[in-house]
Amino acid sequence: MKAVSKEKLPALLEELAKEGTLYVPSSSGDMSRFVPWESDVQVDLEHNTTMSPKEVLFPQTEVLYNYKFGEENTVEPPPPGSEKIIVFGVRPCDVQAIRCLDEVFLTRTYVDSYYKEKRDRLIVISLGCTVAEDTCFCKDMGVNPVEAEGADIVLFDLDGEYGFEEKTDKGKEITKKIASQLSDTSKKKPKAPSFTLQANSNGIVEKLQKMFEHPIWEEVCQKCIGCGTCAFLCPSCHCFDINCKNTGACDGFRYRTWDACMFNDYALMAGGHDVRPTKVERIRNRYLHKLLFFKERYGMFLCTGCGRCLRECPAGMNIAGFINQLEEVTVDG
Amino acid sequence: MDKITGLMRTKAKELLENGKVERVLGWEKGMFFYSTPPVFIDKPEDAEKLVWDDFAINNLAIYLLDKRNQESKVALFVKGCDSRGVVRMIQDNQVKRENLYLIGIPCPGLKDPKTAVRGYYKDASQVPKATKCEECQHPNPVLYDEMLGSQVEEPPEKDRFAEVSELEKKSADEKYAYWKAQSDKCIRCFACRNICPACSCQECLLDCSKPRWLDKEVDVAQNQFFHMIRVWHVADRCVECGECERVCPAGLPLMQLNRKLIKDINELFGPYEAGMDLEQRPPLTEYDTGDPEEFM
Amino acid sequence: MANPEQNPLVPEMGTITKIIDETPDVKTFHVTTPRGKPFTPKPGQLAMLSLVPVGEAMFSITWQGDDYLEFSIKRVGVMTDALHELDVGAAVGVRGPYGNNFPVEIMKGKDILFIGGGIGLAPLRSLINHCVVNRDDFGKLEVLYGSRSPADLVFKYDLFDNWPKVKNMEVYVTVDRGDDDWTGKVGFVPAYLEDLKPSPEGKVAVVCGPPIMIKFVLQSLEKLGFSDEQVITTLEMRMKCGIGKCGRCNIGSKFICLDGPVFSLAELKKLPPEW
Repeated sequence: MKAVSKEKLPALLEELAKEGTLYVPSSSGDMSRFVPWESDVQVDLEHNTTMSPKEVLFPQTEVLYNYKFGEENTVEPPPPGSEKIIVFGVRPCDVQAIRCLDEVFLTRTYVDSYYKEKRDRLIVISLGCTVAEDTCFCKDMGVNPVEAEGADIVLFDLDGEYGFEEKTDKGKEITKKIASQLSDTSKKKPKAPSFTLQANSNGIVEKLQKMFEHPIWEEVCQKCIGCGTCAFLCPSCHCFDINCKNTGACDGFRYRTWDACMFNDYALMAGGHDVRPTKVERIRNRYLHKLLFFKERYGMFLCTGCGRCLRECPAGMNIAGFINQLEEVTVDG
Repeated sequence: MDKITGLMRTKAKELLENGKVERVLGWEKGMFFYSTPPVFIDKPEDAEKLVWDDFAINNLAIYLLDKRNQESKVALFVKGCDSRGVVRMIQDNQVKRENLYLIGIPCPGLKDPKTAVRGYYKDASQVPKATKCEECQHPNPVLYDEMLGSQVEEPPEKDRFAEVSELEKKSADEKYAYWKAQSDKCIRCFACRNICPACSCQECLLDCSKPRWLDKEVDVAQNQFFHMIRVWHVADRCVECGECERVCPAGLPLMQLNRKLIKDINELFGPYEAGMDLEQRPPLTEYDTGDPEEFM
Repeated sequence: MANPEQNPLVPEMGTITKIIDETPDVKTFHVTTPRGKPFTPKPGQLAMLSLVPVGEAMFSITWQGDDYLEFSIKRVGVMTDALHELDVGAAVGVRGPYGNNFPVEIMKGKDILFIGGGIGLAPLRSLINHCVVNRDDFGKLEVLYGSRSPADLVFKYDLFDNWPKVKNMEVYVTVDRGDDDWTGKVGFVPAYLEDLKPSPEGKVAVVCGPPIMIKFVLQSLEKLGFSDEQVITTLEMRMKCGIGKCGRCNIGSKFICLDGPVFSLAELKKLPPEW
């Protein structure tokens, strides 16, 4: 297959950057994330990022429309972008998460225009994993860690070089532009990494369907402190809030921001009714959404086993541990 | 460490069996070598889950807020920083002293699971001591009903405000650029606020929708506002447990902000350390005729 | 459904053409746009009203005219407070229609029993008026409605004037607490329902009100012999996007803004009891 040597990678990135806005994984202090490439950006391809690449398609804060009120009453959405968006080094767990977001934003009657116009311009260059961290469990959530399904181009870490395979038409088109950086290799695709963390997800859907009133939720939710760390770092969490901000006497903008089902006002209605008043109901909703409701509605788990929530939760909540705990639960009927 | 684990388990079992408390808060071993998260024990047989090791760093005091309106009796294991957090909550009228049974554990200094995670360490011995433990001045519990093991030696006094003094020397532009860069990293997850023993408001003003003090946009301006307001609200009540800085996923140096305010309060109202003494009131909650009044 | 081709999160700007004071905290608004009625909703559907400097919220479309949409809105929070302060002529954005609608096709030929509590009569009103306008398609119409007090009764002109005049239609009104002038029934809706003992034969019951009332009424209907398919309800949750993307209005794997708000009891029993 084709390949690019690791020494030639900076040159390849420089070529890619000419085709549009290029995002690469980079560490800065404690929080690694996908940042726009520049020649002095330190690219970190050894480990996955703390902030997932979802912020490229679904920014944390996004203007929906600008408005004027008073004399004039108008709304005006911002114009769509035109450049290609190339994300380099996306791990298979994160590519699977993009497929989950596609299901949410692009299907079921309505198409989210803001997501779609970026998604249409997006080119995903995925990097397969040869090493699984002790917190990774993507394989158990239906993800192939070697080769991401749904990426435009897949890369394989073959020691001194990256194997390079175009998968889609978009992938083929961009490969033509950087063909000069590519060479050939006789190496084969690497073997799948071995996982120390096992989270047996077989049969959990059927079990969870009967567990809404189960006492396990009271026990599982206790550590949670109700922050948004898990939801914000998760590559597939998509809940958002919509608010408005006035910037002058008669203008402003409406925007959306990431929201977390862990926040205590997530389900709070005007008038005071709250279907999820305590952390028991909120954690139950979160885990069921990830492992049951999303599977029922869209046919895939909303958790892709990336392990970010396990790593960064301040209180040690562990969804993989929960999946394992389910093995001991027996339900009637 | 194993000796303390044994003592914890015996003590918890005893307290639950004779009905002295309904619940024991402690730590248990998690999935990874670096995870020793909080555990909540209701039944005597579950006391076997309790563990004391290098990573039992979570401050258990905040979980008292979950049941703050209930009269149930709770036992919890407290290190130095945890006990100051409990003092904070008692002084803020969030919990009653008579509902708590505090079991003190003198702390040798622990390790942060986040250090292990972010450094990709493979075993506990490689992991350095947590930053907050390096800076700790009071490892022995200050409030307890009994103590497991004997007191550890207090560390030599160090200048807690060294970093703050360095920052103070920078020009206004440099300081602004520094904090702007920090606010840019913030993702407004509220982990810092939720883990803080001093942040116990039932409805945080930063969540309030009428009036909306803090906009939900996540940008530098709103983030700066969030941190400034939170730091001012906890100013004289911060027990310097360091949890806010430890749990931040973005690595914001939040203790620099907290310590700046504490330094200023020390200079204006005399040296004070929050959470050390149940009887001593935080300086901003009372006045003295000798207080500085240059502005009058 | 709203036109899926357009940007579904951007409202169309319109104006308020009429405001009726129903009770001290409920007002009915007529909204129109420069091109008249922005869309033709089916009974039970919802729309997002947008007061740009304040916020946006989802409301039931309580009725419609040739060139306007009607919303009866209770004052409960930030957005509704601001709406209640507006005058005729004020600008308001509208987008929709969202949600599914009452299954009027399967209700044809049957007797319909509407059970409403408080502001819950508002979502039912679109259906009641639909039945009144298409009178011959339906059998006997009965409306059982209760509110906290006589001052809180909504749509008094319908309850006491218009609907009792309709052929083969009965209206039963109760209040939790009467006042000096009230000569009607006093009592809670579920209790009144059990007193009336409606027969489930050939009937469909449509229920809407505060969640606690809905729960008790559903129990009473079960006792009276109504099957799960004969009972229909319309629910409410905190909504933000209205198009099934923002995630928060879910009951189980269904979104109230997209798969609801109308559910039969049979459908509701398959979902987790989280409403």
